[in-house]
Amino acid sequence: MTHENTQITSPPSPSEILLHLGPQHPLQPGPFLLDLKIEGETIREAELKIGYIHKGMEKVFEDRTYIQIMPLTDRICYLASNANNDVYCRAVEELLGIEPTPRAKYLRVITNELNRIQSHLLGIGEYTTDVGFLTMFIYMVRERESIVSLLEAITGSRLNHNYARFGGVANDLPPNYKSMALKTLGEVGKLVKSHDEMMSSDSIYLKRTKGVGVLTDKVASELGVAGPPLRATGVEYDLRRIEPYLVYDDLDFKVITQQDGDVFSRVKVRLLEIQESIYIIEQCLDQMPSGPYKQHVTPYITRPKVGEVYTRIEDPRGELAMYLVSDGSNKPYRFRIRGPAFATAQALPPLLIGTYMADVAAIAASMDSCTSEVDR
Amino acid sequence: MAIDKTIMVELTDAFSDAISDVDVPSANRAEARIDGSKVTEIMQFLRDKGFDHLSCISGVDYPPDKMEVVYHVTSYSAPLIITLKATLSRDDPNIDSLCAIYWNANWYERETWEMFGIVFNDCPYLKVLILPEEMDGEWPMRRDYAGYPNAT
Repeated sequence: MTHENTQITSPPSPSEILLHLGPQHPLQPGPFLLDLKIEGETIREAELKIGYIHKGMEKVFEDRTYIQIMPLTDRICYLASNANNDVYCRAVEELLGIEPTPRAKYLRVITNELNRIQSHLLGIGEYTTDVGFLTMFIYMVRERESIVSLLEAITGSRLNHNYARFGGVANDLPPNYKSMALKTLGEVGKLVKSHDEMMSSDSIYLKRTKGVGVLTDKVASELGVAGPPLRATGVEYDLRRIEPYLVYDDLDFKVITQQDGDVFSRVKVRLLEIQESIYIIEQCLDQMPSGPYKQHVTPYITRPKVGEVYTRIEDPRGELAMYLVSDGSNKPYRFRIRGPAFATAQALPPLLIGTYMADVAAIAASMDSCTSEVDR
Repeated sequence: MAIDKTIMVELTDAFSDAISDVDVPSANRAEARIDGSKVTEIMQFLRDKGFDHLSCISGVDYPPDKMEVVYHVTSYSAPLIITLKATLSRDDPNIDSLCAIYWNANWYERETWEMFGIVFNDCPYLKVLILPEEMDGEWPMRRDYAGYPNAT
């Protein structure tokens, strides 16, 4: 794999044109600029330019105390706000040498999996509009609303949850949550299954997505991709299984893989992961112990010992990691965010080369990028 | 091929003069300091031993005289993460690029370069990635950065 395929290397020849997709385009999840050099219908070169919503988060975090950073981690990517909270919280806990209470671990798994379901639902919804399947977007957003309501019942907010705390979580489950959640999850599971069947049997949709934008397992791992795009190539790389955190060790779940690595498989992985997440949440609701949901005294003013930590989590989009360096003060000395969407976005230009212009939207959307997190 | 912490012994044997401060804090973590001039050889060695996934490259600034590049290398089939740190002089921070070994090093190196001013020799297209073009050469993530336009 060379690096020329990430750049527009020369001006277009008379038979080629240079097309700028973005930075504002109705199909995009956020602002980025995709430059394409096209000959006829075929993409010859592609270049991705990012940074339109750079927020300087890593710099900002160096000037905030540890607990002040917690709500800001939501804003790295609002669709994965629980995953961001949780990985940050585990990083600080490791520096402090504390453990969350057993009940808090289950609560974090439940919110993480709910978060994964709603992120996948919106990701698939946005993707289906891009392939011209607007009906499915409406269905997916409808299903997502009930999942977001389940999250809201626990965390108190619909998007930026700010739920994890050092050594615990912010709230316990509301009364009668289990029966409410099981009812909603059962309904959503059934509906998503029927949507899955509808998509898998539609001949136009299949023609549009099968064999399009193919990544092989070898290329995908060379490009450093993780998450659903990698699992769609058959690689069983899921941090919940490889490096189990919280209580994933005690839970029964499958790592979802597909073999073809095309647009269809990437979306199929997400559809099946929704069912798997529902199964995980049902187990958690059954197994979770009673007891405190946070430490007796939540450490709000924290001065971790000098040291550093690199913590990873299976975000809805792949491998999310945070690298914290502590100098013993109440603020992190260095805060590095390694986002999954950054890695996926980097792999997009080589994937587009040689494909048709009409497939660009389908391929890009099936990678499920999040511009907010790419730029941070 | 087992991917576990015995790799640190092999690594030390192979590059005894370029590796120091080897530490294995837990079953899934190992760290060491490396000589920046040997980074490509060391990474190629790890890649051949099954460490096929470069997780992240980060810069850390330690004024007044030091900078660090931190590599987190791992594998798609094992949880072991190796943290390798190369210390650079702050006056002329430069280190060889890993782009030929790990394809995805490209954007991480570009980001570290634009934020810290650490030059990655032979990195293709070392130009601003996230920052706007007018902030080229500002190195805003340095600890003593005082604001735009560069007042440092």
